[in-house]
Amino acid sequence: MFDRQLLTYFDWGLFTLIALISGIGIIVLYSALNGGQPAQVHVLFYRQLIWLGLGFCLMCLMFMFHFRHIIRWAPLIYAAAIILLICVHFFGKHVGGSTRWLPIGPFSLQPSEPAKLVVIIMLARYYAVHARTSGMTLKDLLVPILLTAIPFLLIVTQPDLGTAGIILIIAVTMTLFAKIDRRTAVFFIVLAIIFIPIGWKLLEPYQKERILTLVFPDKDPLGAGYHIRQSKIAVGSGLLLGKGYLQGTQKMLAFLPEQHTDFIFSVLTEEWGFFGSLVVVFLFLLLTGFGLSVAHGCRSSAGTLMAVGITALIFWQTMINIAMVTGMFPVVGMPLPLISYGGSSILTIFLGLGILLNISMRRFLKE
Amino acid sequence: MKPVGVEKKRVDMRNRRIAFIGVVFTLLYAIVGIRAFHLQVIQREMLSERASGEYSKALKQTGKRGTIYDAKLRELALSTNVVSVGVNPKRINGDKKPALAKIIADRLGMDRHAIENLLLSKDKFTWIDRSVLPAQASALQTQLRAEKITQIEFVPSYCRIYPNRTLAAQLIGFTNIDEKGTTGLEFQYNECLQGEMMYWSVIKDAKGNIINQDRICEVSHEGNSLELNIDTVIQSISENALKRAVEENNAKSGIAVVMEPKTGAVRAIAHFPTFNPNAFNSSPSENWRNRAIADQFEPGSTLKIFLAAAALESKLFTPDSVVSCENGRYRIGRNVIRDTKPHDDLTLLEIIAVSSNIGTAKVAQQIGPAALYHVLAGFGFGERTGIDFPGEASGMLRDYRAWKPIDHATIAFGQGVTVTAIQLATAVAAIANDGILMKPRIVRAIRDGNGNIVRSFEPEVLRRVISSRTVELLKTMMLAATEKGGTGTLAVPAGYSVCGKTGTAQKLNEAGNYQHCEYNAVFAGFAPARAPQLAVLVVIDEPHRHHYGGLVAAPVFREIVHESFNYLNIPPEPPVDRLDVSGKAFRRGA
Repeated sequence: MFDRQLLTYFDWGLFTLIALISGIGIIVLYSALNGGQPAQVHVLFYRQLIWLGLGFCLMCLMFMFHFRHIIRWAPLIYAAAIILLICVHFFGKHVGGSTRWLPIGPFSLQPSEPAKLVVIIMLARYYAVHARTSGMTLKDLLVPILLTAIPFLLIVTQPDLGTAGIILIIAVTMTLFAKIDRRTAVFFIVLAIIFIPIGWKLLEPYQKERILTLVFPDKDPLGAGYHIRQSKIAVGSGLLLGKGYLQGTQKMLAFLPEQHTDFIFSVLTEEWGFFGSLVVVFLFLLLTGFGLSVAHGCRSSAGTLMAVGITALIFWQTMINIAMVTGMFPVVGMPLPLISYGGSSILTIFLGLGILLNISMRRFLKE
Repeated sequence: MKPVGVEKKRVDMRNRRIAFIGVVFTLLYAIVGIRAFHLQVIQREMLSERASGEYSKALKQTGKRGTIYDAKLRELALSTNVVSVGVNPKRINGDKKPALAKIIADRLGMDRHAIENLLLSKDKFTWIDRSVLPAQASALQTQLRAEKITQIEFVPSYCRIYPNRTLAAQLIGFTNIDEKGTTGLEFQYNECLQGEMMYWSVIKDAKGNIINQDRICEVSHEGNSLELNIDTVIQSISENALKRAVEENNAKSGIAVVMEPKTGAVRAIAHFPTFNPNAFNSSPSENWRNRAIADQFEPGSTLKIFLAAAALESKLFTPDSVVSCENGRYRIGRNVIRDTKPHDDLTLLEIIAVSSNIGTAKVAQQIGPAALYHVLAGFGFGERTGIDFPGEASGMLRDYRAWKPIDHATIAFGQGVTVTAIQLATAVAAIANDGILMKPRIVRAIRDGNGNIVRSFEPEVLRRVISSRTVELLKTMMLAATEKGGTGTLAVPAGYSVCGKTGTAQKLNEAGNYQHCEYNAVFAGFAPARAPQLAVLVVIDEPHRHHYGGLVAAPVFREIVHESFNYLNIPPEPPVDRLDVSGKAFRRGA
């Protein structure tokens, strides 16, 4: 099954880049976790190391077989993911006002994370067959809408607006990439404009506040605006070169909320400054570039679509996370790929990157 | 398989789309990069400052206020470390408030409902208690930390304590809650006592726990200390004697001033009624005033000493000069002056001893207004002594050119002129100091936090008022006033001789005349007669059992002098006639 010849095509550049970003990630995480007590290493740091190791193994596993098998089994994977998401609603752990976690033995799985990938795979499978050069019409889009809507609704009711939103935005990106009929596009734009006020009404009060905070950041600096204010302060106080590794004061004194998960970028910028954040942003840009070049190089429609979808996943998550941390986007649960702490998130990203490597190394193979 | 041309076209289109996505993604990354640049390079100063504002609270606090010591370095006022406990009511969850109120009330021994009301207030910040003992505060802090309550603020601060409570309260004054002196020496020397501004930063984490207290050396920011001339023992002797006299005579109030004639050092300024500066609000504010310095009164007969001085200085009189006292009635213009007891011919010495108004008036008429005025002004009447105390009154001594004949006469025996107690005491002390007027001083020295003297106040000579010869004669006369036949016999403690003069000043009533009026009972003097150690002035305001200075004020003088001399180890004098060689100077009047 495994062709030795594949090794020659192995995308070492992408692999190195992934290793580099995860390396930076674990270094920043160490600082984020060990703010208060520099002497002892935080238990979460070791856990993250395990997740990273597991992630690399999974990634390697993912490029062992031809990616068409993934496409072939997509409906089954999709069904499994939906069942898991339904299970969350019944057996999930209720944490902090939402039910996102499914306890499995000593670990907890967040099925909404792999659900992102599953949607990408499923859409890639569908669009590979149904896309047309003239652009898809509303009729063609009914199935993808359904495919997206089921996990979207299951996740948005957990509630987890961030993950649901990223699924939606990836689906939109992939759909636009697959080409959509002009009139249908106009229809959707009008629909979206109509939906905005309704959507606003459906939001929880705290979610509304988060959006309002974005517009009026100093309205309630100790309440809704606290996260974003502290984060902006941390980012801003990093200046050009930062305060130095392990020297961030906002971080050290636990002013930064969620500093090891969603807000880890603020730790990075506080300690490494503008220069450091620029490097990381550049590495992510490079990762996106690699992803698109994989899509470009792939000769299979499904492979291209999957590569675009995975690239979009990484890109949008990075973009939204950084925009959120720098106060340009409302606070939503959105981890920074490869850097934020969190097993499900790490594993999902590595699975996606595994598929990307898979597509990359098989770029010269015909379907 | 599709035709190659179609396939190629499809791939080209797909590649264009990939490139388009690439451009869009790159642009969005660029926006993020620009944002980071904006935050970190352009807005950096503001945000950086805000960051340090978050964790390192630069606390601006004045250093510990200096101590006020008496002459023997006993503490009269000192600051102790306490903790001010405050709260941000808005940041506390509503349903947690009753439980929190209970914890605070239990730990601080306060009323639970009062604290609950504070917690329910809409204020952004409010103090709960600003003088919590450090031990209590840390116990509360530990408990709150255990319960993960972070909205209570603990600010180290100081509390001013007056360990002697009411002692010398009007003199020392007190500070407000912010340790700023508002009255008395606390006010006068506020800037000197006040600690320097300390800028020390506490580093706090988000939960409000203090991580690192970067407290700069506190001693160097401590305020200077005051060393007073006041002696706690003499002050307490004076206050006790005064209290007894005021209570026995059912008087309104009393003042006693004790000075050291040679140096002008004020050893005691006693008031009754007094107040407790630790809880000044529980006493009426009129008790807070240092009336010895701020209030003026008509000195009455005590001023006759200074008339006698003027008479002797004018060389027109000797103690033996005889004046007719008109048998108790003497008319000046439309006014009639009376004596309490009618007298015929009296020597100047006897006029002072028996305190004849008519005699005094006639002597004054003979020496003329200018001579009287210049001696009175020379002793400092009508102008502030310049004592180091706020709110000094100047007293009133009109220019002699404005005097009518009757004014001239009455001023001579202490009516139509007002003085402050400190003025009168200083003037009497000048006689004791061989005619040299000293500036009265309360503070002896200022020391810094390490005990080094920053400034010391040497005795300050104002001027010589009368000649030594006049002083000698005057002292004979003042001695006579306290010996048998004089009005001040009750002022003499056993074993000592006293130079002094009683005074019973009428106080103007509400109608502005002296009918059915209240009195001031006064005694001014010094002892021992030959080598004066202390000059003492006693004023009892509105006594009701007796009103004569000789009966009301003189015993207070005796008690103060007697006990102070015991305390100061000043030995009793041998009987005068055995020691005195001149004989004449100390001869007693007929």
